Amino acid sequence: MILSNDTKSKIGEYAKKYPKVKSAILPALHYAYEEQGYLDDSMYEEIAQVLGVKFIEVAEAASFYTMFPKQKRGKYYIQVCRNISCALLGSHHLTQYLLQKLGTKLGETTKDHLFTVVEVECLGSCCSAPMMQVNDKYYENLTLAKVDQLIDEWRAAK
Amino acid sequence: MQKHVLFENINDPKLHNIDRAIELGAYKAWEKVLKSIKREELVQMVKDSGLRGRGGAGFPTGLKWSFVPVASPKPKYLCCNADESEPGTCKDRVLMECDPHSVIEGVMIAAFAIDCHTSFFYVRGEYDLSMRRIEKAIDEAYKKGYLGKNILGTGYDLEMILHRGGGAYICGEETALLSSLEGEKGLSRIKPPFPAVSGLYACPTVVNNVETLANLPRIVINGGQWYASMGTEKSKGTRIFSVSGHVKKPGNYELELGTPLRTLIYDYAGGILDDKKLKCVIPGGSSVPVLMPDQLDTPLDFESVQAAGSMLGSGAVIVMNEDTCMVWVAEILAHFYMHESCGKCTPCRQGTGWLYEIIHRIEHGQGRAQDLDTLLDLAKNIEGNTICALGDAAATPVISTIKQFRNEYEYHIEHKKCLVKSDFRLR
Amino acid sequence: MGDFNITVNGKTVPAVKGQTVLQAALAAGIDIPVFCWHPQLVPVGACRICLVEIEKFPKLQVACATPAADGMVVMTESPKVVKARQGVLEFILAHHPLDCPTCDKGGECDLQDVTFKYGLDYSRLQEPKHRNIVDENSTFDDLQIGPEIIRNQNRCIHCYRCTRIVDEACFEDDLGAYQRGYHTEILPPPHREIRNLYSGNVVEYCPVGALTNDDWRYKVRVWLTKQAKSVCTHCPDGCNLTHWTFHNKIFRATSRPNENIDRGFICDIGRYGYQQVASSDRLKQPMIKKNGELIEATWEEALNLIKTQVSELKSKLSGNAFFGLIGETSTNEEIYSFQRFLRRVIGTSHIDSRINRKRRLTFGEEVTSRAIAPDHVSYQDIDKADTFVVYASDLHSENPITALRIKRGVRYRDAKIIIINSRSTHLGVRTGATNLLHKPGTGLAVLTGIVDAAVSSTTFDKSAVGLSDQQISEFKQAHTELLLPKAAAMSGVGESDLRAVADSLVRSSNVVIFCGADFSRYPYRDEELLALDNLRRICKSAKLAVLPESSNSVGAELLGAYPNQYPGGKGSDAKSKFEDLWRGPLPDFSGKDMIGILEAINEDEIECGFIFNADPVRVFPDGNYADAVLEKLKLLVVVDSFMTETARLADVILPLSTFAETEGTRTNWEGRIQYTQSAIKPMFDSKPGCEILELLADRLGVSFGQGRPSEVYGELNKSLGDVLPVRYEMFKSEGAIYDRPKHQPKPGFNRVAYNAIPSDREYPNFLTVGNADHHRGPNTERNPSLLKFTGDPFVGLSEIDAKELMISDGDLVKVESRTGKVVGNARVIAELPGKVVFLPENFRELRPNLLMGLKEKFDHVKVTKM
Ligand SMILES: Cc1cc2nc3c(=O)[nH]c(=O)nc-3n(C[C@H](O)[C@H](O)[C@H](O)COP(=O)(O)O)c2cc1C
Ligand code: SF4
Ligand code: FES
Repeated sequence: MILSNDTKSKIGEYAKKYPKVKSAILPALHYAYEEQGYLDDSMYEEIAQVLGVKFIEVAEAASFYTMFPKQKRGKYYIQVCRNISCALLGSHHLTQYLLQKLGTKLGETTKDHLFTVVEVECLGSCCSAPMMQVNDKYYENLTLAKVDQLIDEWRAAK
Repeated sequence: MQKHVLFENINDPKLHNIDRAIELGAYKAWEKVLKSIKREELVQMVKDSGLRGRGGAGFPTGLKWSFVPVASPKPKYLCCNADESEPGTCKDRVLMECDPHSVIEGVMIAAFAIDCHTSFFYVRGEYDLSMRRIEKAIDEAYKKGYLGKNILGTGYDLEMILHRGGGAYICGEETALLSSLEGEKGLSRIKPPFPAVSGLYACPTVVNNVETLANLPRIVINGGQWYASMGTEKSKGTRIFSVSGHVKKPGNYELELGTPLRTLIYDYAGGILDDKKLKCVIPGGSSVPVLMPDQLDTPLDFESVQAAGSMLGSGAVIVMNEDTCMVWVAEILAHFYMHESCGKCTPCRQGTGWLYEIIHRIEHGQGRAQDLDTLLDLAKNIEGNTICALGDAAATPVISTIKQFRNEYEYHIEHKKCLVKSDFRLR
Repeated sequence: MGDFNITVNGKTVPAVKGQTVLQAALAAGIDIPVFCWHPQLVPVGACRICLVEIEKFPKLQVACATPAADGMVVMTESPKVVKARQGVLEFILAHHPLDCPTCDKGGECDLQDVTFKYGLDYSRLQEPKHRNIVDENSTFDDLQIGPEIIRNQNRCIHCYRCTRIVDEACFEDDLGAYQRGYHTEILPPPHREIRNLYSGNVVEYCPVGALTNDDWRYKVRVWLTKQAKSVCTHCPDGCNLTHWTFHNKIFRATSRPNENIDRGFICDIGRYGYQQVASSDRLKQPMIKKNGELIEATWEEALNLIKTQVSELKSKLSGNAFFGLIGETSTNEEIYSFQRFLRRVIGTSHIDSRINRKRRLTFGEEVTSRAIAPDHVSYQDIDKADTFVVYASDLHSENPITALRIKRGVRYRDAKIIIINSRSTHLGVRTGATNLLHKPGTGLAVLTGIVDAAVSSTTFDKSAVGLSDQQISEFKQAHTELLLPKAAAMSGVGESDLRAVADSLVRSSNVVIFCGADFSRYPYRDEELLALDNLRRICKSAKLAVLPESSNSVGAELLGAYPNQYPGGKGSDAKSKFEDLWRGPLPDFSGKDMIGILEAINEDEIECGFIFNADPVRVFPDGNYADAVLEKLKLLVVVDSFMTETARLADVILPLSTFAETEGTRTNWEGRIQYTQSAIKPMFDSKPGCEILELLADRLGVSFGQGRPSEVYGELNKSLGDVLPVRYEMFKSEGAIYDRPKHQPKPGFNRVAYNAIPSDREYPNFLTVGNADHHRGPNTERNPSLLKFTGDPFVGLSEIDAKELMISDGDLVKVESRTGKVVGNARVIAELPGKVVFLPENFRELRPNLLMGLKEKFDHVKVTKM
């Protein structure tokens, strides 16, 4: 039992909305991820049980989408948009700057478990490029000064 | 010219609250539809308006609805496509964040038009704020009785279910969206059958884009003729253009269709950043061919852009200055399509990766003379031979950049470095 | 004739509404390559190899998923098509390893064939091939993903046939496709294997060598093999197989798709079940018992011995001192010859094939007088039904392919399944069926309760089903002990569940009722048949099928393997006809059945017998008794392929060729007679059954001159009225159906007598017998591949009982009854209800029949931890 009863009941409730319960796999994955920060086989199993669907249906779906990692990420999960509009305004430089400043490599989590930096495809914030998403939040029109300030804040907040 | 239909109240910071939205006229159209408009009249009204889909393909909205066999005993479904992920595009997000009530009111109206009682709102997983705004708007609409059972005492029932994506561009493609909505992997499906006949849960289904839907309340209030009075002969109304890249004032601009590209870039978006020279423009999201500086006077409407050799697509205008290496651009886009191919059909699954690998090699100084022919031939082998249009979308930037900038590719192959080095820095 | 025509490559081709372009073209003999398409799967149009040009379509279309439309003009080999197809092929091949020489699919690989046809002999790929690395040290990237199945992901072309077969055709869930794009990997769910009963199909239908099985790989190259058309002998479903042989050895079995039956999917038991042909306990030579020991002999010696002994006994005794038993997997020809041999040559009517039943199972008087015989039901009826009742059967393990058909109905036609059983079964768990799980031995109460619920309902339209008020009230009066509240209490099934089932049966328009093996094994068979017949009478339209136990049980019944029945189900009035046919006198018509035979041996009335392809010691439901009784015989001749428990008691053993070594026909549960070729020549010194029987007859002075199956078949056909195809070569895929006579049933309900099971304090558990996973009946343990799935015998215990007795998985336990005991390792089975002990009947080390007492009506046992 990994998922809390609260999460399970939320999943169960949400599933009721759909004409077919299998549709609730995605919302269920989101609920589970929100609670745990990652997903694994036993959580798939629990989701399958709550929804009454097959384990494999949950596992296959989860593996397809990018938002359900199987490993925990840093407290600040920094996703830098690498796509065209951001790239035109320096996103590659932004990534390099972040990696250097945080002393880490792409896709790896810093030792203090604070930061994971990854590059992602377009996040739909092209008119405010360059941008990055940190956990759920968008940070747009980034400049070096802004990035410095943000990192200081996060480090201070731990 | 700039014309605020969708953006009428967009700057009102409270617009996302239902009370404020109602003050500004929200749900009047919905009431009107429920109380005084017949389903057939509504469909006709939207046909008259000339509204065409804003999701990419530009298919006439009223016509799409009329393919739904309303008499069928199966339930009908309406899905709002808010999966906006086409590189360069960020217009639906603005609508959802700032004016969610117009969007869901549009969903309600479209649902009514196809006699649907369960609608879905498929929002891109990463769009957290949009999702929360829409979630709140739906809640509020239920509370006010605009959704649910026996809406406003008219006997019409309508449920609206928010469905959050999981991070996959392909889920914006309508059949993949339906797969995803059914709880499966987001794999696109072969057509026919078209969703209008057999879509979600094998029932008649319409998928409409956020912006398309947001137009509906305005059309209902002001009439189809009013909407048709804007725009050009065949491209009616306004469109939101997301201008990004090397411009001074990037942003979303709502313009009447038919406004010249030059006006958008120079008058509204402030011209090229640092007053550099313009290299080229992608006028409709990353999946469409580039336009060259000599095509700046192209009016931004479906037909004219097509005549100029490109497409209006999602309305995302990506502007590139003279420092942009086009092989580098092609590499970025090829990487995107490789990453996002759902993998169901062969040409797309294998072809997108192959294209990327070759371009990557060229960009990194390992190109060979025969690579360009191979690239073009592979792209042609993908184009038109895949299940959904993602394959075409992947082929287009390759074909288009080679066509317009073959010299840059050749320079790369010959000199093992860029002709123009893109080294864009953060400020 | 089609509904309309289309034009393909200039040729007019008829098409039926709903057909795809591909189907219409294939039917007209026009070949279009496919990878992802399979006739039984929903087309997905994914691989794109079947692209064709269709006039008026701007783009090329996939033939496999484009519906044919009137007047369509299709080109399958135009320059545009060829270019696109070569493009697709190049994409597929880009990262495909070029390891054809070491790939088991080589020679029968769809990809190889298509590549050859489109002549692609170059690759423009400059980058390194993508490699999925499972083991750094292995060149071949093999990953064992199931007991029999090996995956090589690098060869996979992502057609997803395998995962779709598992899901859409087998209704299982142990294979998936994970990740996205070209990273997509085919794997079982984490920590699981692909081991469903149909798992071998994924190997058969993988168009490349990405999935192979241990059974076949690296043993022989396909182009060296010969193929034989065969029919599976492991269950009465009658799936069609191909046996692949090389140098008189079988290397594998694959499906031979038959639209009427299996539609191209077979179960693993059929697929790997050929291996027993080479089992180490095959009888290689005749044997003779000397000084209590069986020693090898020549055919001459063995036959002479039989001749002397039989002649001697016959001179002293009448034919009534002889008996014969034959197994129901024998061919129709063997069964026919066998009973003819006994009746005509030996002069006895003591013949039976129903050797594993404890109750006397000739239909009781009431059943016969009310003319309740099973209906003619076929696979086609399954496709029409909207509701299935499965009574007393673990259909999934007993009739795997019938179960698939039913599941298909559930998935694609929303048909309903109602399962009435005292243990929960795979079919019940997998299909969202309504499960009426009742206490052991109370099936009658459930059936009668449902009927009561139906007729008591206010909405029941009795006139629609031809019932009168009087008949209903008679029903109620006759069954006061079995009406609703009591039926529910007795069986443990909720009253509302009984009502719900009654309601759904009454509303169904087309019901098929199946009853399976447990029905024949356990008490009250006749009563249950009457009760099932009552159930049929509350439905608007219902058919009842009694599923036989073995691959040719129906043939045995049809061809005179029962004491009181001549071939064709003919009675005593046919005696003179058969005396004419067999040119000689026949004994008294009435003979003894299995139970009677054993009794008679015990009382020294019978002293000599022939047992052909049967192992009563192993399966008769009192093993100790059967053993002791058969031991008493003066002469026992056993004709078998294996050294069975019964063979050990024999005075003479004659080695019998197996199903693979002899041609002949068998009759599946539908009554469909199908022909099997012999795949290989008789192994060792064995001989096919018909030849042995002819040799025996000849020695004993009555030659029929029919040593070959085809010769026996000719006479057999004549005895049935020449209604079958004249020669073997004339058998088509639909086989032949022999129409059994129909009886006119009496109106109204049947009266069902019932006594509750007495409880037994000393032996508190109820014994049920069935099949272990991947086994069926007593022979499957001779197949190494099947043993990989379940190799060890076990004693199945419910969770409750295990807990109470403090037994956990693997503990050694003793199971005792009043008449015997067995010892084995416990296995806790979640689906088992309390107080029920499950023993598989598949393993000779743990024979459930040792616990069964002939005199005991119910099999009560107790379990103790050792
Ligand atoms: C690869 C691909 C991605 C797409 N992504 C989106 C998207 O993010 N949002 C959208 O509205 N339409 C998208 N579309 C278009 C949809 O398939 C569909 O045409 C559209 O949602 C219909 O709505 P409309 O008629 O209102 O334009 C995409 C199409 C393709 C082929
Ligand atoms: S393993 Fe075989 S059947 Fe499965 S997807 Fe790959 S190629 Fe297709
Ligand atoms: S067979 Fe038609 S696309 Fe694969």
